[in-house]
Amino acid sequence: MVATVLWVYVGSVLWSMRISVSSSRTLPISDFVGLKQYARLFDSERWVLSLQNMALFGALFIAGCLVIGFLLAVFIDQRVRAEGVLRTVFLYPYAMSFVATGLVWQWMLNPELGLQSTVRGWGFPNFKFDWIVQQDTVMLAIVVAAVWQACGLVMALMLAGLRGIDESLWMAARIEGIPKWRVYLSIVLPMLGPSIGTAFVLLSVSVVKVFDVVVAMTQGGPGLASEVPAKFIIDNLLVRANIGLASAASTVLLLTVLALLAPWFYARAHAARRSERSARALRASATQGAAA
Amino acid sequence: MFLATAAVAFLLPLYVMVVTSIKPMEEIRLGNLFAWPVRITLEPWVQAWTSACTGLECGGIRVGFMNSVAIVVPSTILSILLGALNGYALSFWRPRGAQAFFVVLLTGAFIPYQVMMFPLIRALATLGLFGTLPGVVLIHTLFGMPVMTLLFRNYYASVPHELFMAARIDGGGFWRIFVQLMLPMSLPIVVVAVIMQVTAIWNDFLIGLVFAGHEWLPMTVQLNNIINTTTGERLYNVNMAATLLTSLVPLTVYLVSGRWFVRGIAAGAVKG
Amino acid sequence: MSNKTTRLALALALAFGAISGAQAQANRAEVLHWWTSGGESAAVKELASAYTKAGGTWVDAAIAGGEQARAAAVNRMVGGTPPTAAQFNTSKQFLDLIDQGMLANVDAVAAANNWDKILPAPILNSIKIKGHFYAVPVDIHMPAWFWYSKAAFAKAGIKDEPKTADELFAALDKLKAAGLVPLAFGGQPWQEKITFYAWLANVGGPDMYMKLYRDKDVNLPATPQFKAVLTSFKKLHNYVDAGSPNRNWNDATAMVISGKAGVQIMGDWAKGEFATAHMTAGKEFGCFPGFGAKSPYLVAGDVFVFPKINDAAQIKSQQLLATTFTAPATQVAFSNKKGSIPIRTDVDIKGLDLCAQQGVTIMKDVSRQLPTPEMLISPDLEGSLQDVITKFWNTNESVDDAAKAIAAALKNG
Repeated sequence: MVATVLWVYVGSVLWSMRISVSSSRTLPISDFVGLKQYARLFDSERWVLSLQNMALFGALFIAGCLVIGFLLAVFIDQRVRAEGVLRTVFLYPYAMSFVATGLVWQWMLNPELGLQSTVRGWGFPNFKFDWIVQQDTVMLAIVVAAVWQACGLVMALMLAGLRGIDESLWMAARIEGIPKWRVYLSIVLPMLGPSIGTAFVLLSVSVVKVFDVVVAMTQGGPGLASEVPAKFIIDNLLVRANIGLASAASTVLLLTVLALLAPWFYARAHAARRSERSARALRASATQGAAA
Repeated sequence: MFLATAAVAFLLPLYVMVVTSIKPMEEIRLGNLFAWPVRITLEPWVQAWTSACTGLECGGIRVGFMNSVAIVVPSTILSILLGALNGYALSFWRPRGAQAFFVVLLTGAFIPYQVMMFPLIRALATLGLFGTLPGVVLIHTLFGMPVMTLLFRNYYASVPHELFMAARIDGGGFWRIFVQLMLPMSLPIVVVAVIMQVTAIWNDFLIGLVFAGHEWLPMTVQLNNIINTTTGERLYNVNMAATLLTSLVPLTVYLVSGRWFVRGIAAGAVKG
Repeated sequence: MSNKTTRLALALALAFGAISGAQAQANRAEVLHWWTSGGESAAVKELASAYTKAGGTWVDAAIAGGEQARAAAVNRMVGGTPPTAAQFNTSKQFLDLIDQGMLANVDAVAAANNWDKILPAPILNSIKIKGHFYAVPVDIHMPAWFWYSKAAFAKAGIKDEPKTADELFAALDKLKAAGLVPLAFGGQPWQEKITFYAWLANVGGPDMYMKLYRDKDVNLPATPQFKAVLTSFKKLHNYVDAGSPNRNWNDATAMVISGKAGVQIMGDWAKGEFATAHMTAGKEFGCFPGFGAKSPYLVAGDVFVFPKINDAAQIKSQQLLATTFTAPATQVAFSNKKGSIPIRTDVDIKGLDLCAQQGVTIMKDVSRQLPTPEMLISPDLEGSLQDVITKFWNTNESVDDAAKAIAAALKNG
């Protein structure tokens, strides 16, 4: 099984790298053109813009999802009455394919059709919400829709993590007289380290592969303003019959991901070990206090 | 209250989808997105399920329903099982090269599927599995492994190591500890895993299209055919109805899964 | 657990059974295409029933989205289970497949049915590669029609269809004054691209158009005449509404249908939307193919290619498909439902709608036929030019910079 996995992933990546130094168009060709595709890649305004967009999207999307997902999980964890319903309300966007929901968002954010015109109709003639049709702000519009879709899952992950926290921790905190919000911030949050780590990686994967939401909402427009790497790759792969260029792009993407992921990965593993030690210390001190 | 406002904001697109799906096309063309329909019609829903055109056939999305079920069930079970096994092995047993394997797996998750298509197609074709049900289940399992492994590995990382040591002292081996100790304790994360895999595989389009062959095309292919017409006319009400219908299965999974989001499962194990 | 295994085993058995059973059908043909909407489905039905009447068995494999369908066809060829026929456009999309020897030719059918004589030149040139026929054409589409709402024109006081660019701008001004959206537009790159094709062909003229797309003349963009075309093209942007970016083409047509907007520049497939809204050409909406009585007619189309299959039965099916698709009766029935025009002009056009009849009549004048760029340049170059056009349309890029970018793309592509 290990061998299959390695062979599939490593093999595909190696194959893709091989194609990136060829002049393949619709079908793979095994000639060799050196780094010509890479030169063309970085010459392309569209590719450079797509990387910038991905960085902006990534930062806002991950931060937004983590914060909102965490807050939702914490509030639901307070043994709220309609918990089952609420959980489904925040999770349902995740259940739907973006092809249709993306269109709904496009309509809602369109100034003539959606929120801007509706609010103006209510008597606020200066209300402006046309992010999606402006070059500078279209990525923000995409972030809104993407966060809507993904933070339900982050909430579920955090909730699972919260539910795994020992009951005795809460008792200990109550005995010590620590206010609830402080418990959450200083103790629970570090303990959720693994859950946050998982969420972070999952969200990062979505960021690198972001495609459906862009295609459904803006098709990369207006102009080239909401271009993203995955769309660049797939366009060149399928539409422009240029799999050499697409493979070069995906290789660059992969190397970027590796470069960014490695240090974070090691930092997180280190932090998790640290927080486990502090939680154990708290429990130990509480039992001592109770025994005394 | 925070939850109430958030809920309203979240439900807004759903409202638009539902309202659009019960309006006749004349009203949709007028463009009043949030307006309640003047004339409510359930015709789009019936059409989406039974008679929307998806090519020569006009059988709606019902056609692929059983295929989707046949693909989702084994793929979910297999990928979660393997992910849990991997996560367990990586967390507690730490075999040689575990870190490297994990890194490879994780990096693999970042590659857009289309890039891996040609080599995978050739590989499956050589094995004689291209265009078959076992073939598409295999691909889904493979693609689900990185995320599932990550999920379980991180979850097991927060399980106290003393628990595992105690079990080993009690004489437990690799499989016994996994089945009798870890799995029962993993219920919350298994629920999350089921949510993720059912959603991902049920809504998957590309893998089903390429690897499932003509006999096993999932419902998403019909859904795509209904929604993504290139130069044909678009019936938005039918599109919305079809999307809502397709999403009912994952939604049901979410609702039912609530039972297992119970607090204190790990706590019970620790105390005992 | 055992239940599932049984089901799996049953499923496998059924799958094998289905495959072997299917091969026993006469002239079985699996046809891969991307026609999935209601109107398109009715059109495919015409093809399928004609094929069945000719003694074949049609197995449908529809995948929405041109790129998806073509990619699926290529994937299946690579995987060893190719369809009997796969849809492509009259373009350079399938040249690579021919180079790699993956397509079979239909020279026999072409000779038997006189394709050299009955097909228009642009179509012939795109299916006849190195002297062999590698695809069968099924329709001709024109991506640059002008559609207008009669109600909107009446409200704005416009009496006649514009015959020149200046008349169009005058009409758009009148529409703006009447409080309507002058030009219904969908700001997606491909729509901006075909609007530019329409503009270049009509305002720049067929010679300039061919110089750019057939000759790839890198000196053309710098000429003042070309820059004038770019300038007037950008002027159209003043007449679209603020919500135009990202809009689907159907939503733009809906604006014309509801009378909110006056004009849309779109291909003849827009008729499908009008038909769904129960509108008739000449009554509630009008159509004209360009400026003036000699306006160019852009020729685009769909074809089917035949993957090379080493099976005598499949080869027979392929040839039967090719013969059936090009038969006059099939062509008329198909065009009627599809909104396209037949590939041959020797057919009875009485049953076609007003706009299609116009199209067929124009096609008889060979001098007005103009191939679409995808027939002349590679998908890669077409994409690069599309990037330039969409940037020019959506930003404040100067005409000079845009011209330079076009020249650069031509040089590299």
